[in-house]
Amino acid sequence: MIRLESIRKSYKLGKEDVDVLKGIDLTINKGEFTAIMGPSGSGKSTIMNIIGCLDRPSSGDYFLNEKLVSEYDDKALARVRNQSIGFVFQQFQLLPRLNAWKNVELPMIYAGLKKKEREKRAKEALEKVGLADRMYHLPNELSGGQKQRVAIARAIVNQPDLILADEPTGALDTKTSVQIMELFTMLNLEGTTIVMVTHEQEVAVYAQRQIHVRDGLLNRNKQVVVDEGEKLQ
Amino acid sequence: MSILENMKMAISSLLSHKMRSILTMLGIIIGVGSVIAIVAIGQGGEAMLKSQIVGTGNTVELYYMPSDEELQGNANSLMSPFTQDDIKAIETIPEVTNIVATSSNFGNIRNREDTVEAYITGINQSYLDVNELNVENGRNLLATDFLGGSRTAVVSASFREELFDGEDPLGEVIYIESQPVEIVGILEEPTGFLSFGSNDVYIPWNTWRSIYASNDISEVTLQAEDADALQEVGAKAADMLNRIHDTEEAYQVMNMEEIAAGLGQVTRIMTIIIGSIAGVSLLVGGIGVMNIMLVSVTERTREIGVRMSLGATRGQILFQFLVESVTLTLIGGAIGIFLGTGVANVVSYFAGWPPLVSFPVIIGGLLFSMIIGVIFGILPANKASSLDPIESLRYE
Repeated sequence: MIRLESIRKSYKLGKEDVDVLKGIDLTINKGEFTAIMGPSGSGKSTIMNIIGCLDRPSSGDYFLNEKLVSEYDDKALARVRNQSIGFVFQQFQLLPRLNAWKNVELPMIYAGLKKKEREKRAKEALEKVGLADRMYHLPNELSGGQKQRVAIARAIVNQPDLILADEPTGALDTKTSVQIMELFTMLNLEGTTIVMVTHEQEVAVYAQRQIHVRDGLLNRNKQVVVDEGEKLQ
Repeated sequence: MSILENMKMAISSLLSHKMRSILTMLGIIIGVGSVIAIVAIGQGGEAMLKSQIVGTGNTVELYYMPSDEELQGNANSLMSPFTQDDIKAIETIPEVTNIVATSSNFGNIRNREDTVEAYITGINQSYLDVNELNVENGRNLLATDFLGGSRTAVVSASFREELFDGEDPLGEVIYIESQPVEIVGILEEPTGFLSFGSNDVYIPWNTWRSIYASNDISEVTLQAEDADALQEVGAKAADMLNRIHDTEEAYQVMNMEEIAAGLGQVTRIMTIIIGSIAGVSLLVGGIGVMNIMLVSVTERTREIGVRMSLGATRGQILFQFLVESVTLTLIGGAIGIFLGTGVANVVSYFAGWPPLVSFPVIIGGLLFSMIIGVIFGILPANKASSLDPIESLRYE
C-alpha cells in the first residue's frame, strides 16, 4: 500500500544543501501497524511528512495505493490527505474554538459531505473512541487523553486507508498512553493501516513492525523487533 | 465547502474577537456611512433644486438675443423684444395651449407718505393658468381685469410687510409712476428652499401698458398640450418670430429643464467630490481590515496547518479568509448604510428637502463594502493559503 523508492530529501540551509533523507526504500503493506523510530534529526519526521503527503521528496517515487502521489499537485495531495490519510499529532492539534463534534466534522466538511451525514458519522466516530458524552465540550474542557481520542475520531471519520500518528503519546501520562495505544491496536485489528513515529520503545512494541531510521537511512539491522514483554503495562 | 458554511465559520471566528471585530468594522462603518449620507443629501438637494427651477408648469420661455449686426442695424431692436402682434402670431400655432406674456419693470411705489422699490409685472390671463399665484387675502385678478385693464393689483406678502408694516392693505391705493392702482389681493408667503420673499406687484398687462405707455412685452413663455413636444413647439414659435422680424437667430427657446440639468450636474460633481473625500476614510477602513486579517492569519497559523492536514486545499483556505474579511466589511457596510441613512434624514429634515436614499445607493453601498473586503482581504488570504503545512503545524 505504501511504497517508497529511493526517496531523497534535501533542504537548503543557508548556502549548503542538507540531505535529510539519503535514499529510503520502504514498503508497508495494507493492514500493518508500523512504528518508525529513531533519534531526533534522524529524518523520521520527514519520512512521515512525505508519507502524509504534506511534503514532497526531492527525488524518488512514492506510491500510495499503487498511485504515484509524489507527482501530484497541491490540490490532488490535499484530496489524498482528506480521503486516504488520518493524522494524529503529539499536540492533538484540535481547533480550540470548536467543540469535539465540530472538530471531528472538519475533514467531512472538506470532503463535501452533507450535514446530516456529517452529524451521523461524527457521532459514530466519537462513540467509537468512547467520547459520545463529550460531543459538545470544547478542547480546553477535555483531558489530554480525551483530546487525543477526539483527534483519533477526527482521523478515522473519513474512513482513511492509513492513520499516521506522530508521537501520539508524547504528551500523555503512562496510563493514558496505554488507553490510546489500545485504541490504535483496535483500529488496526479492524483493518486500518497505521504508521506511527515514536522514540519510546514501550510504545513502539504495540506495532507489529519497527523501522529504525538513522542519519537519513533505514537501519537494516533492526528491522523487526517485537517483544510482547516490553509493552507498557 | 459551501459559502454558507464559510460564512458561519467566519462569523464564529469574528465573534471570538468581538472587540477587535467591532473596532475594525468601525472604519468601514464610518466610511460607508459618510459616503451614503453625502450621496443621499446631495441627491435630495439636487432634486429640490430641479423642482424649484423647472417648476410645475412645464413651460418653455422664448428669449430675444439679437446678434451684433442686428443691433447695429436697428438701435431699437434691444428695446422691444416682443410685440402684441408676435403674441397673436404665436397663437396661430395649433399645439400652443397657453402663451404667457409679461412685461416687467423695477420702480418706486408709493402709498401715502411711504415709498418702496418693487418689481412690477404686467401679466396676461394665461399667466394664472401656468404659474401659481396663490392669493391668501382678497381675490385674484379676474378675466374682466385683464380685458379692461382695470387698475387693480395683487401684491406679494413681503411687499405688504415693507409698505404697510404688515397691516391689511386690501382696498388701499398705491401709486405706480404716479398712477393709482388698487390692491385687491395679497399672495401667500412663499415656501420652499429657493424662494425668498421679494417685493412683487402683479397688474394686468393692459394696465401695465397704459401706465408705462408701452406695447413692449419683455417675456414670452409657452405651454403646449403635449409636454414632450414642448421644445419643438418652442422652436416653431421662435422660427416664426425670426421670420416676422427678419432676424436670423435673435429669437430663441430657453429650456429650463436643460438649465436644471446643468445645475444638477453641478450638484452631482459637488457630491462626487465630497463623496470621494469621504471615500478616503473607506480606504483607511479597508487598510484596517487588511491589518487585522494579517494579524489573524499569523495567530491562526496552526489552525491553517491543521486544516491543510485534514484536506483543505489552498483554494479553500484562501476562500475561508476572504469570506471572513468580506463578512467583516459587509456587516460594517450594512451598519454604515443604516447610520448614513439616519444622518441624511436628520440633515435633510433641517435643510427642508427630501432625503433621497435610493435603492441603488443601498445596493451600491453593500456591493462596494464587499469589494473593499475582497480587495483588502486578498493579501492576508493569500498569505494564509501559501503557508507551508508542516511549518504551520509546528508554529507556536
